[in-house]
Amino acid sequence: MSECAICTKGLTKHYGKVEALNDLDLDIQKGEVFGFLGPNGAGKTTTIRTMMDEIRATCGTATILGMDSHTDALKLRRSIGYLPGDLALYPKLTGNDTITYYANLRGGVDTSYVKVLAERLGADLTKKVGDLSSGNRQKVGLIQAFMSKPDIIIMDEPSSGLDPLVQRELQKMMREIADEGRTVFLSSHTLSEVQRVADRVGIIRHGRLIALETVQALRAKAVRQVEIELDAPVDVGVFESVEGVTEVRAQNHHVVMTFGGDMGALLRAVEGRYNIVDISTQSADLEEIFLTYYQDETAGA
Amino acid sequence: MLGSVFLKTIRDRWVGWTIAVVAIWLFVWLGLVAYSGLDLSLLDTFPEAYRTLIGLRPGMDAGGLSISAVYGTYGSITFAAMALAMGAASIAGEEHQGTLSLLLANPKSRSHVFISKVLALVLFSAVATLVTWAISASTASMLDIALGDLDLGALSTHMFASTIFYGLLAVAVGAATGRRGAAVGASTGVLVVGFLGAGLLPLIDGGDEWAKLFPWYYFNGSEPLYNGVDWGHVGLLLGASAILAIVGLLGFLRRDLRGQSVGITMVDRLRQNPMTRKLADRLAGSSRVSSIWLKTASEHQIALVSACSYMFFVQLILGPFYTALPRSAMDMLAQLPEGMDVLFAFFGGGDMSTPEGFFQIETFGMMAPIMVMLVTIAVGANAVAGEEAKRTMGLLLANPIKRSRIIVEKAWTMVFYASIVGVVAFAGTVLGSALAELEMSTWNIAATCILLTLLGIVGGALALAIGSGTGRKGAAVWGATGVMVGLHVLNSIGAISDSMSGVSKLSPFYYYLGGDPLNSGLDWGNVLVLVAIAIVLIGVSFPLFQRRDVREKD
Repeated sequence: MSECAICTKGLTKHYGKVEALNDLDLDIQKGEVFGFLGPNGAGKTTTIRTMMDEIRATCGTATILGMDSHTDALKLRRSIGYLPGDLALYPKLTGNDTITYYANLRGGVDTSYVKVLAERLGADLTKKVGDLSSGNRQKVGLIQAFMSKPDIIIMDEPSSGLDPLVQRELQKMMREIADEGRTVFLSSHTLSEVQRVADRVGIIRHGRLIALETVQALRAKAVRQVEIELDAPVDVGVFESVEGVTEVRAQNHHVVMTFGGDMGALLRAVEGRYNIVDISTQSADLEEIFLTYYQDETAGA
Repeated sequence: MLGSVFLKTIRDRWVGWTIAVVAIWLFVWLGLVAYSGLDLSLLDTFPEAYRTLIGLRPGMDAGGLSISAVYGTYGSITFAAMALAMGAASIAGEEHQGTLSLLLANPKSRSHVFISKVLALVLFSAVATLVTWAISASTASMLDIALGDLDLGALSTHMFASTIFYGLLAVAVGAATGRRGAAVGASTGVLVVGFLGAGLLPLIDGGDEWAKLFPWYYFNGSEPLYNGVDWGHVGLLLGASAILAIVGLLGFLRRDLRGQSVGITMVDRLRQNPMTRKLADRLAGSSRVSSIWLKTASEHQIALVSACSYMFFVQLILGPFYTALPRSAMDMLAQLPEGMDVLFAFFGGGDMSTPEGFFQIETFGMMAPIMVMLVTIAVGANAVAGEEAKRTMGLLLANPIKRSRIIVEKAWTMVFYASIVGVVAFAGTVLGSALAELEMSTWNIAATCILLTLLGIVGGALALAIGSGTGRKGAAVWGATGVMVGLHVLNSIGAISDSMSGVSKLSPFYYYLGGDPLNSGLDWGNVLVLVAIAIVLIGVSFPLFQRRDVREKD
């Protein structure tokens, strides 16, 4: 987890007066799944299209595997698998033809691996792409992104149209890629997916990066409800002194608080004074974190 | 402008119709200017039989000549093509795009949608005809050219009825089948075959009756410009249109909507059958996706096959047709005075009394360049801009290939296809000439077809360059078509007018037929000029595409 897989410095893209992307600094390590989160129109796709040299940055650079995304674009593409958002394929080609076309342009791929991928995702490659449902079309796109076993896979909203079972399989595949030391750049607004699969998360809004954290750190920051059942009547002061605790309500042996901090510190405060009979905490999911970040933004603006 | 299906259709289409009207007006204006500088009184001295043969009138002046030339060919074909495209897009087009199901999910009946689209079509045809009539008449009066007894209104009425007919033919086929391709194909077929049939058959003894089989006959067969409106003919066209509308509507009401399906072809069926799968795969499968240029080639097969069948068939029958022309007419054609060529300038010029001249006027002058450019402009415009419009460019460029390679491979497909059209035109002409024992020089035919191929490549390269620079397919198709038509007119004007003969050299068409290749063979200088233009146009495509952002949406 030391070498830089994708690295952007001050990446900026303006369309006329519209600032689609503003001064984006990212540093994605090899062997991680990086979740790129943001609402619609935040600049996720612009970032990806700049990395893929489809569009050119107004200023700043994107470096992938040590190569410039623009000047070394050709060499780079050998090492990148790509799934564009809102995927468009050639409707008159079958899935197999589509895969063959891109495989030929890549100078050939391992066809047995294509079969494995198709099986895992449950893709039917004999039908014409135009006759497939959007989810099944997405599977063809996924296969072509994975098939060359690239060092980096960049995917823009990969789960769109997929059923939950296939989504889960895709998440497994992403984890496997990362475990092999390869890298996944996953753009999404499906928070549960990012939460389940990503190591780190970047949150983007209005073309600016507003947070860059590990999933654990984000979770640790998350504000959640904690309920503790103790073996003796509760002294509220014990909890109020712990950092991150607010709104403590105690009733006999039972205490409920809103907590946004390190769970260890909270437990250490209880230790020695009480025995914990039961503890329950509402799972902190990115949904809340996400909303918190955006509320902060709007409040600050 | 989105208050109703009718208004949305108007909004979607007004730009195209406006361009068509302006283009036709430009032709009328250029024709009036070009012909008014000539002494046309010598036309009166021609023998009577000859004058009727090619529709010349006693006392015909610049006005009659240019208006019948423009309205009778370019104008009416342009309007018919506009109506046809609009008709095919109306029901089948929305179905093809997958927008029809959502449209019909609103509380509007199928009949409502159908009638709104037909009304928009009728309105556009009427307004376009009226505006063209008004600006043609006022242009003539501005240039002090008296239109005299010419009944422009009658010709316009006929043109309107004819336009409606082709539009509704496309609407009906599209609405009844849901297939846009079938709608465009069937109505274009009727248009082209009718244009040729109604134009050529009357030249043969007894052919007049046969010409009446074709709808085009009822547009200009009664010569409304001189004889006024033939209400029988107009009624027939409008009546047929009404029947087509009813048939189309009934078909549309009864059938299932098509999904965004791409349809099943013969090859698909063969590929599904385990017995034939291997063979079919080899035919249509893996080979067509083995490289960009072969993939591109497979996408444009229909255009290629259409253009080639047209070229081969027409070239083949023209030979026997030429010998079937009445001897007396041939004798007179042989004695034509100098200056007659002005009449044929817009069709590429040529001496009608020789088989070479006949071929030049009938096909090589106008139809052959249209056919080859139909293919090359389609390939050129789709090369870069088409992939962007379909949003497949991003994924294509995600592969380890340079942008320049896409241009090189697709340009190669264009050159390859232009060459095929050239070879087929050559084969058709040689066979036609042999069948009729015309003894045209095989080498000269080859020379003409080489130049034809090169001209086609120039048109396609222009579309490629515009598409590479803008990423807009519409701009590439219409820009290249417009520029090529303009250059054709420029060349024609230079040929007609001595004082303006220099302007021809600015047009690639001059290097195509200017050296009279059917009679004098290949001028290597002309070859070189056309090749140079094509190389420059393809050459500028590289930096144009290299430098810009890939468009996400069209």
